Amino acid sequence: MKEDAPVVLVVEDEKQIRRFVRASLEEEGCRVFEAGTLAGGLVEAGERKPDLIMLDLGLPDGNGVDFIRDLRGWSDAPILVLSARSNEKDKVQALDAGADDYLTKPFGVAELRARARALLRRQSRTEAASPLFEFGEVRVDLSRRVVTRNGEPVRLTPIEYRLLCVLLASAGKVLTQRHLLREVWGPSSVESYHYLRIYVGHLRHKLEIDPAQPRHFQTETGVGYRFQP
Amino acid sequence: MKKLPEHGEVTPSALRDRKRYLLAALACAATTLATTPLFGLLDPANIVMLFLLTVLLVAVLLGLRPALLAAFLSVGLFDFFFVPPRFTFVVNDGQYLVTFAVMLVVAIITGRLAAGLRSRADESALAARHARALSEMARELSGALTLEQVAEITDRFLGVILQAKGDIVLYDRDGQPRPAVDHRTPHLVVEPRMAAIAFERGETVECSVLAESGCAAVYLPLKAPMRVRGVIAVAPAQSFTERLSAQRPHLETMASLVAIAIERIHYVDVAQRTQLQIVSERLRSSILSALSHDLRTPLAALVGLADSLACSRPPLGDAQRESAEAICEQAERLSGLVENLLDMARLHAGNVTLHKEWQAIEEVIGSSIKLLGRALAEHPVKVRLADDLPLIEFDAVLIERVFCNLLENAAKYSPAGSAIEIEVSLREERMEVRVADGGPGFSVAEAGTEALFEMFVRGESESALPGVGLGLAICRAIVEAHDGTIAAGNRLQGGACVTFTLPLGKPPLIEEEILPEQEEEAK
Repeated sequence: MKEDAPVVLVVEDEKQIRRFVRASLEEEGCRVFEAGTLAGGLVEAGERKPDLIMLDLGLPDGNGVDFIRDLRGWSDAPILVLSARSNEKDKVQALDAGADDYLTKPFGVAELRARARALLRRQSRTEAASPLFEFGEVRVDLSRRVVTRNGEPVRLTPIEYRLLCVLLASAGKVLTQRHLLREVWGPSSVESYHYLRIYVGHLRHKLEIDPAQPRHFQTETGVGYRFQP
Repeated sequence: MKKLPEHGEVTPSALRDRKRYLLAALACAATTLATTPLFGLLDPANIVMLFLLTVLLVAVLLGLRPALLAAFLSVGLFDFFFVPPRFTFVVNDGQYLVTFAVMLVVAIITGRLAAGLRSRADESALAARHARALSEMARELSGALTLEQVAEITDRFLGVILQAKGDIVLYDRDGQPRPAVDHRTPHLVVEPRMAAIAFERGETVECSVLAESGCAAVYLPLKAPMRVRGVIAVAPAQSFTERLSAQRPHLETMASLVAIAIERIHYVDVAQRTQLQIVSERLRSSILSALSHDLRTPLAALVGLADSLACSRPPLGDAQRESAEAICEQAERLSGLVENLLDMARLHAGNVTLHKEWQAIEEVIGSSIKLLGRALAEHPVKVRLADDLPLIEFDAVLIERVFCNLLENAAKYSPAGSAIEIEVSLREERMEVRVADGGPGFSVAEAGTEALFEMFVRGESESALPGVGLGLAICRAIVEAHDGTIAAGNRLQGGACVTFTLPLGKPPLIEEEILPEQEEEAK
């Protein structure tokens, strides 16, 4: 194993889940460390300085959200939360506390590896930000504030444009509704969820091929939105 | 309970009356006999005194009418035995007529006074007894814990004090009557209309005609502080009706005591039930969350392990890889089933809190299609939305479950390659969503029936395919929680079609935004 291989910490109490997560990540070329408890996870995180943390929210010795808050005090390593379906509230809490993405159990190896790769890639490329984005038929030039679709200019309102920028800046990452509202409308509008929905709808109608089955502006039901290039 | 003393005067009967007159006559005869030997020793005036004393005693002991009888008898006996010529009613000396007149008047007046005094004393004694009985009843009712006890205390009060019988009829909130105590043979025939009138008006209803036919004659509403709880029907024992109406105030006091006791028991009951419900709710939700954790964790491990086995390196042989993939697929299916079971358990627990928000239905359709992913790989999904669909208020997570279940069913029961259609339109203040497939559809017998939405019911024709039939039951529970409706049928051109509706409501206003052109002009 290479010395500069990315380090991943898996905090999960179920041994068998840790086992296949470790196997999958090692095939990705990661060095994997494990912890079965919240306290153990924090110690490992301090020691190993991981490039990515996989965190189960339902740990026996405490709430995973507290772990995230704790960790965010001194580390900005990306966190991928593992959680059961129907725990949307927990997911939102974890994301608002600073987690970067989540995976709903049960998940397959391909999904796990794709998410891990995306988070590690974003971690490594922070400076090389380009003002040019391309997805589907759409091209966005942030430096010139121009959006084109099939070469034709697309007219966006200021709010639509701001929303697009926020989503593009965190491509691949789930953004909670509160986060988006705060970023686009300001801190006083964090409860006006219907505005957010209307404007995401506008973006889809202007930029998606089939707005009813969006490829890029995806809904994470009960949680928020994700821009998938 | 101390048995209340029974008093003869309370039940005067014809027989008793006759006995009293006889006693009065005997008293007069005895006076005559006792005085006869003294004739000659005593002046007639003093003999008159003895007769007057007899009348007075009769009045005190036996009442007014026997006293009147005694007064007349005394005059007659005195005349016959003591006024010369003796042993005839002939009176020689005219002055005796004055004696007779005075004697009669004095006898009548003293008799009346004494009897009046006595009856008043009786009445106040009776009133005191009733008051005592009522207060004792109130004390006992305050300790009563069940409706049976209340009924028993009421019976005792009515029986002992008023010689009456009574039955309590309770009315629930919808005005439906039911006996206060189950499995008890009623004491009397309750006329339901009279009881209903007393209940509805909250007033005592009395009908002495009914008493003749053995029905309850008096219907007293049980007016408690919160509402009228029921009616107590009272029937007098034998022909005692006048007495019963004289007892109205007591009966009404009794009714209000009983009403308060019944209401208190009702609220004790409500409090206990609520307590029980809270406890069982807490238990249920903790069992559910423990169960869901215990079921999901090994399934998640199973799915992941099988999947990592299938794509392990160096690659497995084809047969082994296929097995691993099959294990993974089966585990995923099992996991979906567990999710449905847990959903159903949660929904059946009754109090699902809906996180309703205003949103576009389009969004949740898109997320459901994305979520199903592989399951829909062989079925193109066509979505047709009416123009200008308004925002609608619903719980996105739950409605997503509805779409996922309907789409999954559609994919499962239609041949590969056939399209699944989702159509959304507006109809009469409702949003109507139709999910249709190109499969064989529901059988004629089951299309349009409610039975399809029952738990563990599946379409007959598809029994060879996997599934437990929870899907539609979950859909119905979720849609109904949103005040919507759901129905299943077949399309004319073939294929199953499930239609559900959601109420539209009033979406919040969205402020118009300044267009970029205008903004540029402003610059």
